[in-house]
Amino acid sequence: MRGFEARIGGVPVEPAVASHFEWIDRARGIARLRTAEGDLELVVEGRGPSEWLVTVAGRRIAVSIQTWRERMLAEAEGSARAHAGPVEIRATLPGLVVAVGAEAGSEVSEGQPLITIEAMKMQNEVRAPRDGTVTEVLVEPGQTVATGTPLLRVG
Amino acid sequence: MSVRKDSSSRDGPPFGRILVANRGEIAVRVIRACRELGIESVAVYSDADASALHVRMADRSERIGPPSPAESYLSIPALIDAARRSGAEAVHPGYGFLSENAAFARAVEEAGIVFIGPPAATLAALGDKLEARRSAVAAGVPVVPGLLVPLEDPAAVDLSEVGFPAMLKAAAGGGGRGMRRVDRAEDVAAALETARREAISAFGDGTVYVERLVSPARHVEVQLLGDRHGTLVCLGERDCSVQRRNQKLVEETPSPAVTPALREALFDSARRVAGTVDFHNAATVEFLVDAGGSHYFLEMNTRLQVEHGVTELVTGIDMVAWQIRVAAGIRLPRAVTEPEPRGHAIEVRLYAEDPYDGFRPVSGRVGAWRMPDGPGVRVDAGVEADTDLPPQYDPLLAKLIVHAADRDAAVARLRRALDETLIGGVQTDLGFHRWLVDQPEFASGHYDTGLIGSRWGDGAALEDAAAGIAAAAAMAARRSSLPGAMPGLLVESTDSGWGRLARREAIR
Repeated sequence: MRGFEARIGGVPVEPAVASHFEWIDRARGIARLRTAEGDLELVVEGRGPSEWLVTVAGRRIAVSIQTWRERMLAEAEGSARAHAGPVEIRATLPGLVVAVGAEAGSEVSEGQPLITIEAMKMQNEVRAPRDGTVTEVLVEPGQTVATGTPLLRVG
Repeated sequence: MSVRKDSSSRDGPPFGRILVANRGEIAVRVIRACRELGIESVAVYSDADASALHVRMADRSERIGPPSPAESYLSIPALIDAARRSGAEAVHPGYGFLSENAAFARAVEEAGIVFIGPPAATLAALGDKLEARRSAVAAGVPVVPGLLVPLEDPAAVDLSEVGFPAMLKAAAGGGGRGMRRVDRAEDVAAALETARREAISAFGDGTVYVERLVSPARHVEVQLLGDRHGTLVCLGERDCSVQRRNQKLVEETPSPAVTPALREALFDSARRVAGTVDFHNAATVEFLVDAGGSHYFLEMNTRLQVEHGVTELVTGIDMVAWQIRVAAGIRLPRAVTEPEPRGHAIEVRLYAEDPYDGFRPVSGRVGAWRMPDGPGVRVDAGVEADTDLPPQYDPLLAKLIVHAADRDAAVARLRRALDETLIGGVQTDLGFHRWLVDQPEFASGHYDTGLIGSRWGDGAALEDAAAGIAAAAAMAARRSSLPGAMPGLLVESTDSGWGRLARREAIR
């Protein structure tokens, strides 16, 4: 249990000064933290041993709590993924595909709208994460997609 | 006929049984009103909602179809079947879904059931926002400068008189849907295409018109209640200027921007607009108020509004109960027609959406759910702890409403109530509301519809303090789940500050 470090969005974060932590409702993640500024109630939800979602004043913050060894392994895996093959773009919200603005072979630039998904009656643009060539379009207009459904691949 | 539970009314309840053709918090709200009136409530549910809160709260329930709204909450045949099967004498449509659908109102009427709302013909007349605009002009009510006919071919129309920036709006629209801002004449064609597509998919009607964008503006609406005997009462105004995507997030009454003279002008315009249609029920006439204090008619909604609660708190009038009584032909009494508003009320809408990512709706499962309580606090919720949020439906979780003697006290009460609130499992807009109450514009009441765009943007950057707290809590949580962890005590092995404090505390 030696040497945990906290990271938010990959950036190391110095934990706040805190002296006491207790679960109020372990199943739902309600916890109390005593800090130098006073006592706080938070929602702390685990997603596996090292990944946590902490709700502070209404904001859900994803925090990684890793040992040095865990971080090295995760980083090695991440960099292998980044260099291997095309990027797969997945739906970040459930909805209906109403327009597809790219096809296999299209040259796209970062930020370019590629697919329009309608959710909650709003049209949401899915944009290219980086410059590249669309290698595959996996959905078509009229198709309903769930969160995580692969939409297209950019090589 | 069931046993009547109401002992308070000599004449008995206005109906024996009401079908509530909605879901979520508004279905719960109507079911509560039914219970207080001694009326049996019938909930309807799709397969995604079989064990939802509104279903469990109702006296009985009817399945209406699969999760897809088109096959359940928007299916007129399924709802009429459910009303017939359950023996309901009336149908309350709530808001959204079919609440302003003339075909639904007609189908309910034709089934010999009372529609708790205006006549179908009135819904048809008001459903066309362009037609409503023309009627308002004819009734001498100011409207936002713009076209009174559909925008068909942008090249054939001179839009310089409308002026830019302009708003493209769906004639069948409402609730902020089917609207597009256009800043330059050359962008009209592309925006028109998007607006049409959105309008067709949301309303099945691609008619779009154009009006000038009023900015800065406040969004102020007048609450009306009318009976079947020609009585019409204005129950005050609501300020709904805190909006994202042209949809309301916060509402308050009275409006900090409305002077007594403006209030009189708004009430007069609201009455004129209502006079253009055959109307009874609750209705809202919406206006924009510009920086000079001029007001412009936007639209009239003949249904219960999401934000009716603030009006209820300051007037003491139960609007849902009166909707039901009015539908049964009961006259509005003096207590309703001469309201004596008291104090100030503010509502914030708790949505499952991410204010740090453009207020994107999220689905998932609510885990922790602790709502505030205490003096002057009302929560109308559609969920509770451990509730799945089906992705097919509106992400409104609950409305948190506070009431206090004046606006400053109401803002302080809201801040306190937000601090008591804990929600887990999904990202919500709670943090946005907590930020809002501390903004000088909100505290002073001097804000407009541009507030979120100009001050919040895509969400405040994560503050170091919040990040540090999250890190400390997550680290303690991980440590607490290790074998042999001592409950309550953080023992840090590295030399970070909080570890030192922990040791100091432990030694003490």
